Amino acid sequence: MNLVRDCLDKQIDDRFKRRMGRVDGIVLEIEPGRPPRVAYVELGVKTLMNRVSSRLGNAIAHLLESRHIESAPYRIPWGKVHVGLNEVRADVEAEKTPALEWELWLRKKVIGRIPGA
Amino acid sequence: MKKLMEIALGVVTSVGGFLEIGSIATAAQAGADFSFQLIWAILLGGLCIIFLVEQAGRFSAVSGRTIPDAIRERFGFNYFAFLYIVLALVSLLVLAAEIGGVCIALELATGIRFQWWTVPAAFLIWLVMWKGTFGVIEKGVSVLGLVTLCFVVGSVLIHPPWSQVVRGAVPSLPHHDSTHYWFVVVSILGATISPYLYFFYSSGAIEDEWKETHVGINRIIATGGMTFGSVISIGVLILAAMIFAPQGVKVEHYTQLPQLLVPVFGYWGYWLLVASVGIACLGASLEITLEIAYLTAQGFGWNWSENQRPKAEARFAAAYTLTIILAALVTVTGIDPLTITIFSMALTAATLPVSIVPFLFLMNDYSYVRVYQNSWFSNAVVIVIIGIAFVLALVSIPLQIFGGS
Repeated sequence: MNLVRDCLDKQIDDRFKRRMGRVDGIVLEIEPGRPPRVAYVELGVKTLMNRVSSRLGNAIAHLLESRHIESAPYRIPWGKVHVGLNEVRADVEAEKTPALEWELWLRKKVIGRIPGA
Repeated sequence: MKKLMEIALGVVTSVGGFLEIGSIATAAQAGADFSFQLIWAILLGGLCIIFLVEQAGRFSAVSGRTIPDAIRERFGFNYFAFLYIVLALVSLLVLAAEIGGVCIALELATGIRFQWWTVPAAFLIWLVMWKGTFGVIEKGVSVLGLVTLCFVVGSVLIHPPWSQVVRGAVPSLPHHDSTHYWFVVVSILGATISPYLYFFYSSGAIEDEWKETHVGINRIIATGGMTFGSVISIGVLILAAMIFAPQGVKVEHYTQLPQLLVPVFGYWGYWLLVASVGIACLGASLEITLEIAYLTAQGFGWNWSENQRPKAEARFAAAYTLTIILAALVTVTGIDPLTITIFSMALTAATLPVSIVPFLFLMNDYSYVRVYQNSWFSNAVVIVIIGIAFVLALVSIPLQIFGGS
């Protein structure tokens, strides 16, 4: 498998095929004397911004934390990730993860309160 | 019979997306300033958009993905972020121009200044998005948009010199005002080769659940719809060439537009123009709003579909709501919508390479389009379009400065 081609930036769905987001980052663990090992995939704005520039990533994280919003990316252990042809699936339930935190907040606090939603 | 209906509806829908305030304004300006001489620019733009729309539809039908989806996957986040910022900003400006177009139609109908209509128009657009489905937006507004056929009927009834019309289809050098001539060419191409058209079409293919079996239908719809749209634009140009050019009238404000149809249809010409501009701009506003929301949701992997209730896709609903508010803020400032339109068309032309270059890679990627990859001819055409896009990108801003008036 080519991690960048087959996994990074791909749409990631939960076990019920609901969209969770995109694979924004891949975390490798490097231990002395052993080959690198894929540990997690990451979803989150800080990871994304870090890919543009680490300074931007830190600035976004700082901004979020100053407003008491969690800036740490959501990590899914590699063991729960299935990479197929043009699809990535995680063996988790999207609505119970931080990946849909903003979606649920918007639904509850803003969009859901507008008549006809 | 069912397939024929699907094709007919698809063609009508494509026309609905094609004809908007930008193509009406630039065609009227071209006819008024250069008579029939710029018909070739509409034909060239039409030809380019046929190829791009057909490829966008084929890509989505076969891969089950939209173009923005694949750009994020294939080119990574940094390229997508660049494309997103450029496209979202330009599309917001185009949307402001379209909302301005709806408001101008309401001003023509009521006599109340267009700024006052910004909030009601923006609310109407939002309400259709909020309550409507993709089918309502795609087909409903587009069928109403058939009223714009009055430009074609008018251009025939006015008996233009057909030999000159045919001569206008062949590219020629300007006889006067060469900077302005090339600026109008750039504006026409910017209005015709709109990224929102092929991005929206690609998302529409997914909303309509197109599969590989739709590849043939897609070709007919893309070709028929964009050709039909080009013919309507040429109708506007012919009317302006016959009515404005002999009197030396320059198109400087949208309130001049009713004069295009009044000499042909009399009293009803005025109302046909109001309906045409209002409906075409409303349709385009809905499609551009959706395109920006689609682009955002697809790029970040959110749930998206206009067929779902807003609550089920809160971030998608928030994206289109915010889009409408931001665009309406531009319109409400009272800047002349024609100025916004002409500027946004030139800006669209300047940013075309960013959205067209990925086609060359995506349409040849076996993992997405399998045996439906581009032929050598389609690739050659895309390379030519990319060449045109780069030339437009280089010249559009200088021409805007020196030839935009």
